[in-house]
Amino acid sequence: MDASLDKQKTGLTAKALSHLVVEVNDLAVAGFYREVLGFAALGSDMIGNCGPSVALGAAEGGLLVLAKRDARPDLSATGVHQAYAVDKASRATIVATLKDRGIEVHTYKEDRPAEEADNFYFADPAGNRVQIVTRDGAAGGPPALDHAAVQVANMWWAEVFYTQTLGCAVEHRVGWKTADYARAQLWADGKEDMAPGTRRLDQRYSSIVNKKAMPRVNLQIYLRLGAVPFAVYLSNQHFQEPPEDLLAGTPRTGFAVTDKVLDDTARALDTARWPHQGPVAIGEGPIARALYFKDPGGNFIELAVRRDN
Amino acid sequence: MADVETLSHSGISVHDLKEAEDFYCGVLGAQVHGAVNFVTEDTLKGRSVHQSYTLGDFLFALVLAPDFMPMPPADKLMGVNGFRHAFAVRHADFDATLARLRSAGVPFKGPVGHPEKGPFGESVYFKDPSGNFLELLWRRDENVDYAKAPQLDVG
Repeated sequence: MDASLDKQKTGLTAKALSHLVVEVNDLAVAGFYREVLGFAALGSDMIGNCGPSVALGAAEGGLLVLAKRDARPDLSATGVHQAYAVDKASRATIVATLKDRGIEVHTYKEDRPAEEADNFYFADPAGNRVQIVTRDGAAGGPPALDHAAVQVANMWWAEVFYTQTLGCAVEHRVGWKTADYARAQLWADGKEDMAPGTRRLDQRYSSIVNKKAMPRVNLQIYLRLGAVPFAVYLSNQHFQEPPEDLLAGTPRTGFAVTDKVLDDTARALDTARWPHQGPVAIGEGPIARALYFKDPGGNFIELAVRRDN
Repeated sequence: MADVETLSHSGISVHDLKEAEDFYCGVLGAQVHGAVNFVTEDTLKGRSVHQSYTLGDFLFALVLAPDFMPMPPADKLMGVNGFRHAFAVRHADFDATLARLRSAGVPFKGPVGHPEKGPFGESVYFKDPSGNFLELLWRRDENVDYAKAPQLDVG
């Protein structure tokens, strides 16, 4: 890994999050997002390679796509989540609505400085973890897509892929410092409540260290694709990756990019001999061109040139 | 007696792996060799987070210290008890190496001359970002092939 990695800013620059594709057991979960977050119902099967799905409109042109899948992995103990940004007034409304419905709201200490000030989490009816961050200047009304967090089984490889192959910048990293370990001790002592997937108790496999269950922080990197943050967690448990030859699946993170960034990224993936699907031209719907691939953790990524931007 | 052949590697414990990597690679010119505990499998086994590097022909690991280590004050450049790693550069490259330390803003003590009959020429003393004591030196015997001149008195 090159020492100048974190200063690298060229490469994959997204304009915004275009769409988040989230799996649900029942498409009726759309009603929850409409009623609680105020997203607009846009229609069925608007985004390709999602299977049966419904699209919901967030602020600033962002789309939340709910894709139906019967057998979904349980992600409740992982760091995987989707985050939406609202202004202060909308935040209060959302909290009140959740309370009325008897939905549990969690507030955790945060590892990423940008999220420390004000945030909370809850689960949608399908069990997906949702984070709300408060952003000054966020539009009233429905939230905007803010960021997504995925997990990988190899953080080293993931960082090399995102920074060197794609050219993303690292905004923040967690787990590389002794101070992070000290903070994990606070969590173990019950002094800091941390989000699932961010901490663990190490079970030592060797007798060299005569300590059991040491509190540790899970490695996390917070990438930036232009102005768009994207979080990658090292998974603290084994998980099933999608089939190797499936390149466009769900769940998926879709970044809105320019034609040039899409073409440059396709070339970079070719150079790295990294499997991808597309670029493809799409005849109708909000996306004009798309490039599909997976990161080294098997997370589906889509770069989308929006028709409606 | 253990029949030791040579020094294999060292582990240098640090408080910030990324900062240490930038220093050892960016300032001293180390190359990345590998990483341990960056995968889920390692995590499940509770392995400590570390990365390995080569600096010249020297293999070392940067290990993230699980607890804060006592370190000397920032202005104390030579450590507390003298324990250090000393890296050799060619005499011809010594001034350029010092210039590199200066331009990277690494404070150092020296150059300090060694006795002329000994194997060492001059040393500088400094610390990595976590406070580990390091030394860079050139050696008067850098062109001596000890395998062919085992009788040489290097003092």
